[in-house]
Amino acid sequence: MSAAGPSQGASRSPSGGSAAAPAASVGAPVPPSLAAAVAAPKDALVALDGVGKDYAKLAPAGGRLRLVADLLRGRAAASTFTALDGVGFAMRRGESLAVVGENGAGKSTLLKIVAGVVRPTRGSVAVNGRVAALLELGSGFHPDYTGYANIDLAAALLGMDAAEIARRREAIVEFADIGTHIHDPIKTYSSGMVVRLGFAIATALAPDVLITDEVLAVGDESFQRKCVAWMEDYLGRGGTLLLCSHSMYHVQKLCAHALWLEHGRPRMYGTAADVAREYLAYHEARAEKAGGPRRAHAGDYGVTALVVSPVGGGAEVDPARGFEVGVEVHSPDGRAPVIAVGVVRADGTPVYGTTSELDGAAPLRRADGTFAFALRFHDLPLLPGHYRVRAHAMDPEGMRLFDHHEAPFVVAGATRELGYCRLPHEWSSGGRGA
Amino acid sequence: MLRAMRQAIEREAALPRQPRTASRERALFANFFLRELRTRYLGSATGLAWALVHPLVLLAVYYVVFTQIFRVASFATGSFLAFVAVALWPWLAAQEALQRGTVSLAGYAGLIRKAAFPHESIVHASVAATLALQFAGYVVVLAALRALGEPVRVEGLLLAVPLWLVMAIAVTGVTFALASLQVFVRDVEHVLMPLLMMLMYLTPILYPLAIVPESLRPWVAANPFGWLVTRMRDALLEGRLAPQWGDLVALGVALALYALGLAMFRRLSPHFEDFV
Repeated sequence: MSAAGPSQGASRSPSGGSAAAPAASVGAPVPPSLAAAVAAPKDALVALDGVGKDYAKLAPAGGRLRLVADLLRGRAAASTFTALDGVGFAMRRGESLAVVGENGAGKSTLLKIVAGVVRPTRGSVAVNGRVAALLELGSGFHPDYTGYANIDLAAALLGMDAAEIARRREAIVEFADIGTHIHDPIKTYSSGMVVRLGFAIATALAPDVLITDEVLAVGDESFQRKCVAWMEDYLGRGGTLLLCSHSMYHVQKLCAHALWLEHGRPRMYGTAADVAREYLAYHEARAEKAGGPRRAHAGDYGVTALVVSPVGGGAEVDPARGFEVGVEVHSPDGRAPVIAVGVVRADGTPVYGTTSELDGAAPLRRADGTFAFALRFHDLPLLPGHYRVRAHAMDPEGMRLFDHHEAPFVVAGATRELGYCRLPHEWSSGGRGA
Repeated sequence: MLRAMRQAIEREAALPRQPRTASRERALFANFFLRELRTRYLGSATGLAWALVHPLVLLAVYYVVFTQIFRVASFATGSFLAFVAVALWPWLAAQEALQRGTVSLAGYAGLIRKAAFPHESIVHASVAATLALQFAGYVVVLAALRALGEPVRVEGLLLAVPLWLVMAIAVTGVTFALASLQVFVRDVEHVLMPLLMMLMYLTPILYPLAIVPESLRPWVAANPFGWLVTRMRDALLEGRLAPQWGDLVALGVALALYALGLAMFRRLSPHFEDFV
């Protein structure tokens, strides 16, 4: 079986990695107030309590003078909007926390507060260690500086002396792997190159806390892998990671716990797996609403949402990384239904199917009486081409099949192999049978 | 007001951000300072030359205008050329430091939005870079004047250097205030230019205080820059180096300006990230 494809062990469970559980309990959504109250143990590396941030609303020129007067007198601005409110959590050394949420939910503001860039309007923040932050693109870069000069700048920002940075410079350049561009101003870089250099610097500075905001969404495939590998190693060495990502795959792979922000407030805090599942289910429900009424009869079990998303974003599925499937099922009697889910070719030929009953997978029961399933297909033997995910709702006994939903996806790549599925095989040189 | 500002500074000190160590501030200042020098003057082909040529050209123009056209009467010591040069250059230095320093934060907008560091370093570096280059130019001009046979006294630098330092303290303080205001109200830089122009003509740079009418003289003399210009001429043209009580007052005023500017800057700087 030498041609068996990528190693199965690559996607280890994130929750198994970290021994130290956070203060908040695991599982069902924890009320934000509880999360805040039980957080902040004494040995916390990062501790936030009741943190909120109000931004002054931009006023026309005349109002700006009044704003300055207000700020100088230590008053709150006359008109503000709340970007963040009531956020509290604690991270001990070696823990990892993902912040998830929609655009504008306050994720970046929260990360900036922990990084010290933004001063919170309310609440307390304690960070006991060296922080390296990759906020948005090219955190802390000056566009006119060359890559080299920005390495020095980053070092100065962290209070490193020249000798210390000189020792690490070569490692940074090597990790970034952007060739002679290191001598060009940052403003000439592509976004991928900026992220490469930023991540390389952050890794070389040996931070106690690493804060990254969507950096993994920008780099190319191989660099993403390099980053993920580095972060796993960093966590293994006792590093502390605060990550912000839209990829539930990265969230679950890298982080033991997750915080879901909605409109600046914590909506859920728990294990990464729980939060990711709830978050995906929430989006499925929204997609369902937007897509029009497709609900099954009220008296039947029925799929109310089916979402297929390639791991790592993008439009097409990388066979090695696979795709995530989220299914939301309506239950008329409150009992947990079973689902059948599988992959068919574009022409409808079945490729593979399974049921939650066969796999012993239990859905998440949600407050509105629906049930959410989430699963990931990875290391796909599928050849490049067009496929569909097919899902059926079944009764709790797994006997009756109620409806039929499909969502298309594309497996990326090009090949001259035939068929639709790659079978592990090897050629032997001798020709034993001949 | 002062109590409020002190509280602001104390709050600032209690911030949970990166350690506010002296070595870090020094490293940042050095980094920004070198960058200011490099990109501002040395980066462009004519940059450094222009930094030296510009005031010389101005001086030549004034010389022609005031000695050939307006025919200003001669002065007790030296020529009109030396009289103006000794005062004009510090003025240009202060003016440029104020103007560049006021808009300096915008040049670091990306950094301010994404990295935690004391923003004071930016203003410090901007003002220091301008004044350092201008002082270097000043020395060149003084040397040129001496070479032309003007009675410029070398020992005058013993007082001129401290005078520049007092000026630097005051200019930095005012720049702190203007730069922090500029982040919120973009008009500051546009209002500053004509204001500086007016101040220049109200300062006895192109004329001696003695020809100002008696009734106006106290007003012109009260101009702090007028004091600086007068002392600069005392030192470099007359060789009067003895310190005066007024020098101590000037130092006190400069330190007060610095403290007030810094307090204002520190109170507003937490909000830069949102507005810069």
